[in-house]
Amino acid sequence: MSAKNLFLNSGFVRAPLQNGVGRYVCQLQRIVLKFCKSHGGSRGMRDFIEQDLVDFAKHHPGVVVYLKPRRHRSPVIVGEYLNGDRVWMNVHNKTHEEITKWIEVLRTQQGDIASVRLRKYQYTDHPSIQGPWTPFTFKDPELNTAELPSSKFGANNRLPMSATEQLRLMFEKQKISTKTEDLKIAE
Amino acid sequence: MSAAKRVQQWATFARTWHIFDCKWQDPYESANIIKKYLMGQHKPIYHPLNDCGDVVVCINSREIALRGDEWRKRAYFHHTGYPGGASWTLAWELHNKDPTMIIKKAVYRAMKGNLQRRHTMQRLFIYHEENVPEDIMKNVSSQIRQSRLVPTRLDHIPEEEVKQYPKVMDYPKDYVLK
Repeated sequence: MSAKNLFLNSGFVRAPLQNGVGRYVCQLQRIVLKFCKSHGGSRGMRDFIEQDLVDFAKHHPGVVVYLKPRRHRSPVIVGEYLNGDRVWMNVHNKTHEEITKWIEVLRTQQGDIASVRLRKYQYTDHPSIQGPWTPFTFKDPELNTAELPSSKFGANNRLPMSATEQLRLMFEKQKISTKTEDLKIAE
Repeated sequence: MSAAKRVQQWATFARTWHIFDCKWQDPYESANIIKKYLMGQHKPIYHPLNDCGDVVVCINSREIALRGDEWRKRAYFHHTGYPGGASWTLAWELHNKDPTMIIKKAVYRAMKGNLQRRHTMQRLFIYHEENVPEDIMKNVSSQIRQSRLVPTRLDHIPEEEVKQYPKVMDYPKDYVLK
């Protein structure tokens, strides 16, 4: 099974059109608050509407706010975004403070980000300055002209030095040092 | 995709042909090395779902070296599927019948048993001697390093070199060499 068969859509961390670099465009376009006028589950929603809704609409003139009273149904917030996403959120039995926070979340996010599985936690338009890897990067240029197979490229070159080789080197060193001593005596 | 990007894609996912000399190598140890190249695990772009495996050409598979007395002790099992169809072939027998089989089975066993394994094995070429067909050899552009040093026989070293090699002592003149 591969990732494309998963229920959750995948995506990357994105900011639409570099939003906020020059000016900020609120991505939330419309918010609909559905509630019941009499049921206890909508208590927090009714409190929010009585106390904070007018201020919210005044502070955020870019967001269209709709109220939809409906009898004996649980309260719901629906947000619609510039990129066409629609977020449906049940706020049954939520308190006034919780609803204030959730509406703030809906206002500041840039789409339905909760239903996207992030493939990576970072994103860049320029993944590499040096250029992507190819099989030829970091290759020994001598390989281009080498006659393969050759023991130079095929033998293990990470083994420690053998005792025989060490003895031979010591012998070579000894030969050189005796020669220099002879020279000194001659002087 | 622009032309430059397309070429970049070809370059990154280009298949490299490696050659591996099995002479004096332990097949089960070298299978773990060959496996990495076959599956593409030596590349920084490796991912189990992308097709980045390389081709490996093994030569001299007749001259592999098994550890200890494994030539006599290791048995390869086969069952024909019929009752009484089980057979156990010793390593030396199998090697006499087909000198490429031991290294092939070693690489096959080194990889995890999934749907990809048989397709990955298609990228492995094994030759029992040094002569490789020309159309295969012309693709080879890289060599995999062996894990063990290939020992040199004394009678293969030039005589002058042997004479110049430092000696700890000389044999007495009346010493009889066997």
